[in-house]
Amino acid sequence: MFKKKIALDPELYAKLSKLSEAQGCASVEEFALHILEDAVKGLGDDASEEEVKKRLRGLGYLE
Amino acid sequence: MTEASGKTVVVVSGLPRSGTSLMMQMLQAGGMPLLCDGRRASDEDNPQGYFEYEKVKTLKKDASWLAEAVGKAVKIITTHLYDLPAGYDYKVIFMERDLREILLSQKKMLRRRGETDEGPSDEVMSGHFMNHVKRLKEWLFEQPHMEVMFCSYRELVEDPSPLCNQIAAFIGQPLDIPAMLGAVDEKLYRNRM
Repeated sequence: MFKKKIALDPELYAKLSKLSEAQGCASVEEFALHILEDAVKGLGDDASEEEVKKRLRGLGYLE
Repeated sequence: MTEASGKTVVVVSGLPRSGTSLMMQMLQAGGMPLLCDGRRASDEDNPQGYFEYEKVKTLKKDASWLAEAVGKAVKIITTHLYDLPAGYDYKVIFMERDLREILLSQKKMLRRRGETDEGPSDEVMSGHFMNHVKRLKEWLFEQPHMEVMFCSYRELVEDPSPLCNQIAAFIGQPLDIPAMLGAVDEKLYRNRM
């Protein structure tokens, strides 16, 4: 599978490396992917919830 | 298991246009006291009235009025359920209806309210509502002070008798079932799929 790469600041990489070890991850890449997936999922949920609130506001159920 | 507070509030919830007003109307007919203020007058969307309580909208900031809701039924739309404080026991009657019907009815209501922005397409909005309800249900099941009964709007209109008995059992108090049945007007099931 084709994979994209992203450049990380060495300082950030070092922090991720330490944290990934502490979390028992097999690699920094695995740890970083896990964090990114969680973050993206959370952002999607927030946007979705905001659309629901917007609709309820339009219907007069939210201030 | 947490200890019961001895202060039970019946909450009628669901997405807007899922049949929450009908449920409130039926409970009232059955002899259940309601907490509502009549500020939102009946209209073409809800000819029998909305049965709402304006203070629900500011529940997050001020929940002191909940003391007035003990032993009564109050309509609280999905998003506000998260703001219900501990210290009470909640029996939540959660109305469920075909999302296509909900969206169709909501769009008509938005137009009547003069809302020009109808938001995302029905397909996208349907996904948002599904996520919203799924998350809420997961959260509800984790709340020790909340009991939930799911109630199908279609069943309530087409064959209300069994549900009325289940509702009375869930609430834990006798209700006038024939009067509840009399409150169902199938003609008002207008956005049917």
